[in-house]
Amino acid sequence: MFRRLKYWIESARRSETLREELELHLAERAAELEADGMTADHARAEARRRFGNLGLKHEESREIWLTRFWSELGQDIRYGFRTMATNKAFSALAVLSLALGIGANTAIYSFMESILLRSLPVADPESLVVLNWHSQPPQGASKDWVHVVHSVSGLFWQGAKGAVVTGIFPYGAFETLREDNPVFSTLFGYVNGRNRTLSIRGQAMSVSAEYVSGEYFRGLAVSPAAGRLIGSEDDRPGAAAVAVISFATSQQRFGGPSNAIGQAILVDNVPFTVIGVAPPEFFGVDPAAAPGLYLPLHTNLLVDGPGTERIYRDGNHYWVEMMGRLRPGVSMAQAQAALAPRFHQWVASTAATDGERVKLPALLLHPGAAGLGSLRREYSKPLSVLLAMVGLILAITCANIANLLLARAAARRREMAVRLSLGAGRFRIVRQLLTESVMLASLGGAFGVLFAIWGVQSLTFLFSKGQENFTLHAELNWKVLAMTAALSVVCGLLFGLVPAIQSTRPDVIPELKISRGGGSRRRMQHVLVVAQIAMSFLILVAAGLFVQTLHKLHSVQLGYTRENILLFSLNARQAGHRDPEIATFYADLRKRFESIPGVNSATLSHASIISADRAGVTYRGPIKIGAVTVEGARVLVAGPRFLTTMQIPVLAGREIDDRDQPGSTPVAVISERLARTYFGNENPVGRRITFLDEKRDLEITGVSANLRHGSLKEESSMTVFVAASQISPGGMTYALRTTGDPLLYVRNVREIVREADSSIPLTKVVTQAAEIDRTISREVTFAKLCTGFAVLALLTACVGLYGTMSYSVARQVSEIGIRMALGAKRGAMIWMVLRRVLLLAAVGLAISVPVALGASRFVKSLLFGTQPNDPGILALAGTVLLGAAILAGYVPARRASRIDPLVALRHE
Amino acid sequence: MGRKAQKNDSLPGSLDMLILRTLSLRDLHGYGIVQFIQQSSDNELLVEEGSLYPALQRLELNGWIDGVWGVTSNNRRARIYTITAAGRKQLAVETRQYAKLTLAIARVMGTE
Repeated sequence: MFRRLKYWIESARRSETLREELELHLAERAAELEADGMTADHARAEARRRFGNLGLKHEESREIWLTRFWSELGQDIRYGFRTMATNKAFSALAVLSLALGIGANTAIYSFMESILLRSLPVADPESLVVLNWHSQPPQGASKDWVHVVHSVSGLFWQGAKGAVVTGIFPYGAFETLREDNPVFSTLFGYVNGRNRTLSIRGQAMSVSAEYVSGEYFRGLAVSPAAGRLIGSEDDRPGAAAVAVISFATSQQRFGGPSNAIGQAILVDNVPFTVIGVAPPEFFGVDPAAAPGLYLPLHTNLLVDGPGTERIYRDGNHYWVEMMGRLRPGVSMAQAQAALAPRFHQWVASTAATDGERVKLPALLLHPGAAGLGSLRREYSKPLSVLLAMVGLILAITCANIANLLLARAAARRREMAVRLSLGAGRFRIVRQLLTESVMLASLGGAFGVLFAIWGVQSLTFLFSKGQENFTLHAELNWKVLAMTAALSVVCGLLFGLVPAIQSTRPDVIPELKISRGGGSRRRMQHVLVVAQIAMSFLILVAAGLFVQTLHKLHSVQLGYTRENILLFSLNARQAGHRDPEIATFYADLRKRFESIPGVNSATLSHASIISADRAGVTYRGPIKIGAVTVEGARVLVAGPRFLTTMQIPVLAGREIDDRDQPGSTPVAVISERLARTYFGNENPVGRRITFLDEKRDLEITGVSANLRHGSLKEESSMTVFVAASQISPGGMTYALRTTGDPLLYVRNVREIVREADSSIPLTKVVTQAAEIDRTISREVTFAKLCTGFAVLALLTACVGLYGTMSYSVARQVSEIGIRMALGAKRGAMIWMVLRRVLLLAAVGLAISVPVALGASRFVKSLLFGTQPNDPGILALAGTVLLGAAILAGYVPARRASRIDPLVALRHE
Repeated sequence: MGRKAQKNDSLPGSLDMLILRTLSLRDLHGYGIVQFIQQSSDNELLVEEGSLYPALQRLELNGWIDGVWGVTSNNRRARIYTITAAGRKQLAVETRQYAKLTLAIARVMGTE
C-alpha cells in the first residue's frame, strides 16, 4: 500500500542501486563478448553500444517511480479541480469561508499582538517598571477623587472594585523615590507636554511634546540617531534650553537628523536649541502617543511661565509620571516591598487634615516592558472579545468544511466502491480524497492571506478613525499567518481523512448493494450542524448587544446641538499674546467669525464640550456655595453666546455675554442640576459661588438646562460656566453655528486667523458631530465588526445547514418517492424536511442560550444602556437564526416535494 | 519514456509478459533475463537491453516482481528478481490475452 510512497522517499538510494545494476549488466555483457574473442576495451564499447544511451536509460528507469508519484499527484489535482468545478458553489463557499476565517483571525491577532504584547523598542524592556498608585475614593467624594489630591493634570482610570488608578505623582514623590533608590538603577519621570507650536525659520506647526527628566533617555537606554540626548545637566532650572526632536520631525522639517543638530527652534515662542534626534523606531513610553519633541522637564518653567514653579513644590498637585529600571537580580515584588512604605510615608506627610488622611494613595508597580497601557486599557477587552468571535467563526468554518467533505464522501461512496472493486488501491483513493481536501484548505489559506492583509489595513483605518496622530501601526503578523495557514491545511487533512477512510472501508460489497445508510456519518453531520448553530447564536447575541449599545449611544440626549457646528482651536498665548491684550484678541476674533455670512452665531470656550475634561487646564479645585462644598461640578470656561450657539436653553437669568469684561463683576452660569442640588427651589440668580483655589467669588447670572460633558456614557453633570474674558486661559476652542455644512466655512476661518496673526496655527478643526462620534469610535468600530462577523457566521452556518439538508434529501429520494406514491402530500414532505432543520436548530439553541447568558457577562463593561442578558436581543438572535435555518432547509425541502415518485423509484 | 521502451522486436507490451514468464520459471538478475529470453527463443527475440530496466522498475512498482540483492552464479553481487503472487496472476491474465490475440491474428492471416 505504501510502497510507492516509500519508493519516492527512497528514490536517491534506489537511484544508486539502479546504477549499480546497470553497471553489472554492462560488465556481464562485456565479459561474454570478451569470452567470444573480443579485446577487453572493444567488448566494453560493444556492450555500451548494444545497451544504448546508459544515462538516458537510467533516467527513464528512475522516472518510472519518480514521475509516477508526481503524475498521480497531477492527476489527483486535476481531478480535484474537476470535482471542485462541478460543485462550484460549495467549493467557492468553503474556500471563501475558510479564507475569511483565516484572514479575520490573523488580522485580529496581529492587532492584539501589536497592542497588547509588543515591547518598547528599547534595550532590555523586561526590566522596566511603571509606577502607579491606587486608592478607593474616600466617602462622599466624587468617584475619581482622593482628598489628598488637590489638583491634577493627567489621566485617571478605573481599577479593580471602583478604585482610582493613575500614574501621575507630585514632583516631591518623584524626588523622594529617586533618592538613593535601592531597587532601581534609574528612575525617570516624564510629563505629557501636549501640543505645542513649533516654529522653525518662521514656519509654525503643531507638534506633540513630552517633558522628560534628565534620566529619561539613559533609563530607557536609547541611543541618539544624531547629536546627543537630554541628560541630567540639561534638566535644571536655568540650564540652557535644549530640545531633542523625533526622527520623523527631523526629516520633515530639516531634511534629515544631522541637519537638525544645533538649529534654533521656537517652542511656543520660547527659543530652544536642537541637540539631538531620537532614533527612528523610538516613540516614547506610550505606544499611543509619539511625541515629536522632547524637552527637559524643568524647561516647562520657560514654556509655561514662571508660575509653573509652584507645582514643583506643591505636594498635593499631581502631574509627573515615572518609570524605573530594576537593578539586575531585583524582582518587581522586591521593588514594590521596598518602595511602597517610602511612598506611604511621603504621601502621609502631604495630608494636612484628618479628612485628607483617610484612604491615602498606595504605590502600585506594573510591568513596563510594553510601555504605558492607555491603548491596552482601551482595547485589550474588545480585542479579546473580537478574537473569541473570529475563533468561533473559524470553528464554524472548519465544521462546515468537515460537513461538506463528509457529505461529498458519502455521495461518492458508490463511486469509490466501484473503483475499489475494479482494483484501485485503497491508499490511492484515500490519497486522492486527501489531495482534494488539502487543495480546498490551501486555496482557503491563500485567499486568507489576502484577507489578512486587507483586514489589517481596514482595522487600522477603523481604529484610527477620528484620532489625531494615531500611532498604532499593526503589521501583518507573519508568524500568526503561517500558523493559521498551517492550521487550515491540518484542518483539511483531518477533516478529509475521516470521510476518506470511511468511504474506502473494505466492506464495499454491501455498499454496492444498498445505497442508503451511513447512520454514524449522519449523526456526525448533525453534531456539526448543531455546533455551528450554537456558535452562530453566540456571535449573533454579541453583535446584537453591541449594535444595541451603539444605538443607545446615538440616541443619548446631549443637552446641546450636534449638527451644524464647526469647532477649531487656536492658542494665542503660545504665539506670544499676553494678558490683558489676549482677552481682547480672542473677543475680536469671535466677532469677526460671527460676521462671516452664513454663520448664525460664534462662541468660544477653553475646550470643546466633549474634550473639556481632557483639555489639560482643569478648574476642578474646590468650589463652595456659602459654606457648602460643591462636589462633582465641571467647569467650562466659555465666551459670549455659548448657550445660544450650542442651543442650550436658558432657564433663568441670562447667559454670559459681551457685558462680562475682565474688569467687571466675575459671573457664572450654572446648570439646572447644580441649581436644584444646592438651591432647591430657590432662584439662584444673584447668589454667589466661590472658587477656593483662585479665591474668586462669582455672581450667578443664569441657569442653563443640563448637558453631558465628555463621554456619552456619563450622566449629564453639574456644570459651572465661567466667563472666558475673566479667566483668560491659554488656548481657545471656537464654535460656529453655521447654515449648511460646517466644513464649508473653514477657508473663511483660516483667512481671518491668518489676518489676525499669521503665526497662530489652526488646530483640531472638526465638526461637532464628528467630535461626538469620535468619543464612541471604539463602539462604532466594534459594532461594525461584530455585525460583519455575525453576518459571516450566519452565512457560513446556513451554508452548512443547506449542504447537510440537501444532501440528506438527496439520500431520501426513494423514500420520499415511495411515500408520495402512497399518497403523501407535498406539504407533508416539506414539513418532514423542515422538522429536522428545526429540531437541529432547537438543539443548537438549547445548548447555546445558557452559554450566551454566561459569556455575555464578560462583555458587560463594553455595553451601554444594554443588559448583557437582554431578553429582546436573545429572542431576536434566536429568531434570526431560526429564520435562516428554515430558509436554508426550505430549498431542499421544496426540492423533496417536487420529486416525481416514478423517477424517484426508477432512480434506485 | 515507458512507451518507447516497448518499441521492440516483439509485440508491443509483450516485454513485461516475457519477463514475468522468465521469472515464473526461475529467479534471475537483469542480465540473466535477457540471456534467458534470447536463448529460449533461439535468438529470435532480442531484448533491447535498455528497455529492460525501465520495465523491471515498472513491474516492481506494480508489485508483480520483487528484487533483492544476491550473488550470481559467477559470484557477482546483483539484484535477483522473483515473481510475486500478484505477478503470477498478472502473467496468467496476460497469457490469456496473448493467446486470444495471437489466435485472432492467426485467423486473420489465415494461418490457422
